[in-house]
Amino acid sequence: MQLAPELRLRRTPLVAAGLLLGAGLGGFVDGIVLHQILQWHNMLSGQLPPDTLVRAKVNMYWDSLFHAAVWVLTVVGLALLWAASGRAEVPHSGRTLLGGLLLGWGLFNVIEGVIDHALLGLHHVYEYTPNHLPADLGFLAFGVGLLLAGAGLVRAGRTRRVPTASS
Amino acid sequence: MKLLLSLLATLLPGWAGACTWCRPRVRAGIYTPAYPANLLLVLLPVAVLLALGLGLFYWDKLRLYIAPARAARS
Repeated sequence: MQLAPELRLRRTPLVAAGLLLGAGLGGFVDGIVLHQILQWHNMLSGQLPPDTLVRAKVNMYWDSLFHAAVWVLTVVGLALLWAASGRAEVPHSGRTLLGGLLLGWGLFNVIEGVIDHALLGLHHVYEYTPNHLPADLGFLAFGVGLLLAGAGLVRAGRTRRVPTASS
Repeated sequence: MKLLLSLLATLLPGWAGACTWCRPRVRAGIYTPAYPANLLLVLLPVAVLLALGLGLFYWDKLRLYIAPARAARS
């Protein structure tokens, strides 16, 4: 394989695209699994408990805006991935992309966990218990684990040179 | 993006159409004076993530404005 050492690799665009895709897909996991299948919480269930049909529907409205927002994250991530894939200095690295995806999912959990659960109290991971802390901490710990795994994969995807078209 | 924003601007202000019995109650629960604050809070984590991702993607261009001397050295 012929290599071109003069071409400097830039993995940041690939990591950024993976990060937004991972955050968007992580948001869908939260919305689909925790909001809809398990029904552990809704977007504003900490402030407006869904204990009547009307309150459940109001929460459903705010859940849907959250879903729309994470859909936008996913679409922007896809657009960035398309833009990155056309650049010669961006390596075609599955590990880097997977690492970016895990970083994005982990960041979603940590940022959402800190802002919505801890600071604002909009909702907690498992709403229907007097002690919210264990589930909230578990959600954050899972996010930190994803961040570590993602960082490890991004490191593992490092290469020094770019293969030329003749390789 | 413009299409998406105009679609959102059309859909957000008053289109929640629940069943005829609960529609006025649901709308009264959604479109309260706290609506802008709730919207901001619900979208805040996503906005932070979007800014992080776009900032990272365009970091090469951004750092020319943020730290031009360091960017020139590298």
